[in-house]
Amino acid sequence: MPESPLINPLVLFFASILTSNILLSNFLGTCSFIAISKDWKSSFGLGLAVTLVIGLCAAISWAVLYLVIIPLRIEYLSFVIFIIVIAAVVQVLEMVIDRFSPSLYLSLGIFLPLITVNCAVLGAVLFMQIRKYSLIQSVAFGFGSGAGWWLAIMLLAAIRKRIENNPVPAGLKGTGITLITIGFMAMAFIGFSGMIAVQ
Amino acid sequence: MKSNYGKILKDGIWSNNPIFVQVLGICSTLAVTNNVKNTLIMAAGVTFATGLGSLTLSAIKDLIPRKVRMIIQVLVLSFYVILVDIVLRAYLPAVSKQLGPYVGLIITNCILMGRAEAFAAANPPIASLVDGVANGLGYGIVLTAIAVIREFLGFGSIFGMRIAGAWFTPWTIMIMAPSAFFLVALALWGAKSYTARAEARRKAAGAVRSR
Amino acid sequence: MKKDSIAYVVCFTFAACALFVLPLALANEATRPRVDANRRFAAESAVLRAFGIAYENPEDAARRYAALVRELPDGGWSATVDGAAYRALRKTGAGLWGSITLIVAADDGAERLRGVEILEQQETPGLGGRIEEAWFKDQFRGERIGPAGISINQEGSGSGDADRENSRVDAVTGASRTSDFVEAIVNAAIADLRSGGAR
Repeated sequence: MPESPLINPLVLFFASILTSNILLSNFLGTCSFIAISKDWKSSFGLGLAVTLVIGLCAAISWAVLYLVIIPLRIEYLSFVIFIIVIAAVVQVLEMVIDRFSPSLYLSLGIFLPLITVNCAVLGAVLFMQIRKYSLIQSVAFGFGSGAGWWLAIMLLAAIRKRIENNPVPAGLKGTGITLITIGFMAMAFIGFSGMIAVQ
Repeated sequence: MKSNYGKILKDGIWSNNPIFVQVLGICSTLAVTNNVKNTLIMAAGVTFATGLGSLTLSAIKDLIPRKVRMIIQVLVLSFYVILVDIVLRAYLPAVSKQLGPYVGLIITNCILMGRAEAFAAANPPIASLVDGVANGLGYGIVLTAIAVIREFLGFGSIFGMRIAGAWFTPWTIMIMAPSAFFLVALALWGAKSYTARAEARRKAAGAVRSR
Repeated sequence: MKKDSIAYVVCFTFAACALFVLPLALANEATRPRVDANRRFAAESAVLRAFGIAYENPEDAARRYAALVRELPDGGWSATVDGAAYRALRKTGAGLWGSITLIVAADDGAERLRGVEILEQQETPGLGGRIEEAWFKDQFRGERIGPAGISINQEGSGSGDADRENSRVDAVTGASRTSDFVEAIVNAAIADLRSGGAR
């Protein structure tokens, strides 16, 4: 096992939601973010699904990394192995939700397959690998990143609802103004960086 | 046939540019656009993986069983991305370290899967290769332009070489994340307005002619 | 064999995996010596730079490292440059996102720093990541070590403190937290050097 950094997992959790939001400062998961944030309800569903998947994938990938990949010395295959882990987690989650909560499945179901190719999930897993997080740190970072993504998409969905009624230059309509909004959100989130002391 | 490839090339680079028109794939590369060199290397990696990935997938498309199509696509695309990673690790260790997780994230770049699904699944191999390369180039050109602006205003340098004099105060915001969103939005605005104006001009010309 | 029969799907998937993984394994094996050499060069050249020993290329660096630097039993290094003896050690501490590992070199009495080099860091690229820039690291070269070690000046110009006697260096603008972490790690290394580390 490698030496993991001396960072409090709780701080890591809050820092990954606010100060270094995986979307607003690492640009991960932007594609589905822009497409889905048109609609408040879908945003909620997708955000919840992403949070669950990143959290679970961070824990399982951690185990796969230290129990399989490193002992077998197949680090060069880690990208594709992580993708398979993510696809499997999404598949299992889909089945479990279908089984136990059909109503949740109805609202979440269509988003789950989208998540396999959401960069935020693989991004969080790769960050976990490079930063050598411990299991607890990985889980905190995973759920924090997911929650941060969820928070960002809910905020953006709310803002977009207001923008709909405002006059916007023709060339900026749709994606353009959304990107500018995300830029302002990113600036606002930088303001959090003084608040949380990651120690 | 030749003009056909030309059209595919033009589609990928301009009329159907992955960033302006499809707004795809900014996730993995936007993060490194505060440095021109890293951006160029990432764009080259994306172009390589999209082009050859599309070529391979198009060549074997009749062999792939429907049930595992998605996983095979991911496998083929990962293959090329891992090759890029291995080459960077061996020959450009400093860049590989700076790019960190972003090389691996090329796999989830929506352009790769997008082109595999939208073009390579229904077209012959060579056309798919051209399409993949064109999309990679269209993507790379936009991001490099953004990187030039960000690195120049943020550090006063391009390719790490200082260009602005000592009088120049670097714009810290350009190094940080928000500026990338603003610049993509501005580029999008410019491209859309230009296309709209060209369209209007063409329509006006058509109207004159028909009269 | 029909294309959608189970046997075909399984065979195809296995064949595809084998076909694509094999070249990767070969490429990885073929480049392994090079990757190891890169890693050794990164580690040795960082020590050389911390000692202020110039080198021209990787071969030159390996030669000079072998000739001039002595590896000590406690993991530190000692070297004699231009007739003066210097000591260095490696120090790891928490950063904003992962561990930061520095090599800190000082003269024999730990009165002046010889140099500080960054071996590993996971800070935000373009912000905290700028601690790798030459102007930041060069500030430490020859800096007098005060009674309280070295302090980082958050209100500095952000382009480097040229005064070698004030035991102070400028922080990276916009990366106050990362600068604080570097300060803490450098001072911990100085404390180790003073209490007889790297001897």
